Amino acid sequence: MTSVLRVEALTKRFAGVTANDGVDFDLSSGEIHCLFGENGAGKSTLSSCIFGFYRPDGGRIFVHGREVDFSSPSDAIAAGIGMVHQHFVLVPEFTVLENIIVGTQKSGWRLNAREARRKIEAICSEYGIEVNLDAYVWELAVGRQQWVEILKALYLDARILILDEPTAVLTPAESQTLFRIIKAMCAKGLSIILITHKLVEVMQSDRVTVLRKGKVVDTLRTASTSADELARLMVGRAVSFTVSKPALAPGAKVLEVEGLSAIGHWGEHVLKNITFAVARHEIFGIAGVADNGQKELFEVLCGVREPSAGSVRLEAEDVTGFPARALMDRGVGHIPDDRFREGLVRQFSIADNLVLGWQRDGKYTSGPLMNRAAIGALSKTMIAEYQIAARDGAVPAGNLSGGNAQKVIIAREFLHASGLLLANQPTRGLDVGVIEYVQTRLLEKRAEGFAIVLASEELSDLFNLADRIAVMFKGEIVGIVDPRAASVEEIGMMMAGNRQAAA
Amino acid sequence: MITFERRVEPNLGWTVAAFALAVLACLLATALLLATTGADIGQAFSALWKGAAGSRRALTSTLVNATPLILTGLATVVAFRAQIWSIGQEGQVFAGAMGGYLGATLLMGLPPVLFFPAVLAFGVAAGALLGGLCGWLRTRFGVNEIISTVMTNYLIAYLMSWMLSGGPWTEVGTVAYHQSPELPADAVLPMLAGIPRLHVGVVLPFVAALFCSVLLARMPLGYEIRGLGYNPEALRHKGVDIARTVVVVMMISGGLAALAGAIELFGVSHRLRADNFAGLGYSGIIVGMIGGLSPLGTVVAGLFFGGLASGAVSMRVLSDTPAALVPAIQGLTLFFFLCAGVLARYRIVRKAP
Repeated sequence: MTSVLRVEALTKRFAGVTANDGVDFDLSSGEIHCLFGENGAGKSTLSSCIFGFYRPDGGRIFVHGREVDFSSPSDAIAAGIGMVHQHFVLVPEFTVLENIIVGTQKSGWRLNAREARRKIEAICSEYGIEVNLDAYVWELAVGRQQWVEILKALYLDARILILDEPTAVLTPAESQTLFRIIKAMCAKGLSIILITHKLVEVMQSDRVTVLRKGKVVDTLRTASTSADELARLMVGRAVSFTVSKPALAPGAKVLEVEGLSAIGHWGEHVLKNITFAVARHEIFGIAGVADNGQKELFEVLCGVREPSAGSVRLEAEDVTGFPARALMDRGVGHIPDDRFREGLVRQFSIADNLVLGWQRDGKYTSGPLMNRAAIGALSKTMIAEYQIAARDGAVPAGNLSGGNAQKVIIAREFLHASGLLLANQPTRGLDVGVIEYVQTRLLEKRAEGFAIVLASEELSDLFNLADRIAVMFKGEIVGIVDPRAASVEEIGMMMAGNRQAAA
Repeated sequence: MITFERRVEPNLGWTVAAFALAVLACLLATALLLATTGADIGQAFSALWKGAAGSRRALTSTLVNATPLILTGLATVVAFRAQIWSIGQEGQVFAGAMGGYLGATLLMGLPPVLFFPAVLAFGVAAGALLGGLCGWLRTRFGVNEIISTVMTNYLIAYLMSWMLSGGPWTEVGTVAYHQSPELPADAVLPMLAGIPRLHVGVVLPFVAALFCSVLLARMPLGYEIRGLGYNPEALRHKGVDIARTVVVVMMISGGLAALAGAIELFGVSHRLRADNFAGLGYSGIIVGMIGGLSPLGTVVAGLFFGGLASGAVSMRVLSDTPAALVPAIQGLTLFFFLCAGVLARYRIVRKAP
């Protein structure tokens, strides 16, 4: 097969960090080539160099055999490269058609909608993409919005498509459709660079290039490798995917939620009549696509959102509407989903973040002052115990990678919580190695007797950890299943809003 | 091609260089301004220096001038560090002076060791109340603190104006002057080491700066203040009562600014008159900003502004320059220092085209 894109010895440095170090990469015509690696391994930097966002400090890029030097993405687009970002850049108030043609017109002031429509319809029928061009983007499900982004690239005659973590926001069914259509595109001669850290997706590609710490570890034919080998290459050591979960009899009820409802900013019902209970030694999983009420549920449970109806009981005490402080003092720990917004203060050091919320606690103060020695010693212990990759406790949390930032939060919450742990998307955006670590730690807490509420968009998290899985859709629990008896498909259907069939 | 790149970590040498550049640019711009007035630039600068630091009298004057500016600067630091944009220092200065005056009318005759702390406390309480009110308006009703503090500035200024022109504190027989009677000699702050004009109040800004420094760097409340400025959402999730903290910050800020007004009353003006207090609060905002919102920096900036104020007098007398030049210099200083603050966060990189 002919090579459509070749990168030779590409090097890109940022103040003190070499993000790409002599990277070689090549993309054949009609293949899905996966860029695989941990966060910070250099996947995004490499694709940004290819798409003209960054200018490499060294090395060369060839497109269709000709050397190129892009100074901006518009050069890359002109060379037939398209990119679909993890976060969509669409105008919700515009229709699909408008979103595709606005800002992508090659000449003139007038929008030539009729011609554009013909072209887009042709593209859709060629690849079997079903999108109503006259629908407003805000009307579309997230999975459909992604099509708009892809159509945008194809409309600009992209022959090489870069997809950055395309399934991060999709349901399992939507992901399957995506891969079906990606394969159809490749059959028609498009070439695709797929950036991901999910092994399931890597296995659907033709070839995979594994990056670690800015360097290429290896480029392999996917058919001749295995998930275990890829994970080992990525992390640099063997990784176990199924953490072993000992059978434990659930103990006394710790958290009892009954008829809980909440109202959102615009008066909409974000939580509707939620009822469940979690016992000691039990992990209660919550599955669901993002923005189906998980965040609001956790906000109510950790005391930063007022419920509009229903009750919450903690160790038999009615704590409905209690503020965060009161719940923390009763032993509730919370791992929020947006770690840099809700879990950490970027500008604070690791040490300061470890006592966030406990800054007035006698353990960390001496007289009217904060006890720097005690907090410093704590950070030293925690950095060692939780294997946080940082020089010392004085490093600002904002300088940490997602995985290490998450470890700081976990360290803090595990240290101060004593009965109930609320973990919302604790593995989001983390690498295989760190995910394994987080899962193991949660199971340790389960064994210690904690009750744990765990929401995750990753079904693998829930199947690995949860004793029961509830599925949330539009603010409701549509069903609670036993992970030993349920299938991924069944839960996937429920995530899309289908009520539990065999309830 | 030369471009700017954001620094990952600040570099001390570069930061110092950036601010040195700002000082230089400031001097240059001032010289240009002076040139437009037709004054002899060298003579004007030397007059400025003499008036600010050329003699013991000049130094006394600088210190006395700097005293309220450092305090209102610190008031700015405490609020701004929490990202609470209080512009209420001006009104709080007035409130502090009026509170102090009220205290003096009530407590006259107490021994000095009790009298002065008590009347200063009256002033501080008035400012804290005023600041706390604006904080409460924000947390309870969502009133933007910029609006509420600016509005209360007017309210307090007019309240004082009324009190002094026909109201209860008007000096009898001299309504036209809009001022209160002079305080009796017992109610005037004693002089430090017997030096004329150097009232004991000049030590308080330094004490206050030390307090703010310790508060922000070492106390749990200071931790919350900084956290509030950086990421209130994280604090809310970790059980910090944001509403309460906002009110407390505004009370501390208001109290500090009010202390400036009270000290000015008992140490310098010895009577209530709007002229003596106007502008101290607004200048404090500039002082706090130039000081990089750090207590120590604010002391330095306050002394600099105090020096400018006392040097301006001699510059006007000795070199015949317009009085408006000093606020212009103050404005230029702020401008260049803010520029330096931004510059310090970037590195200049030369790239091959």
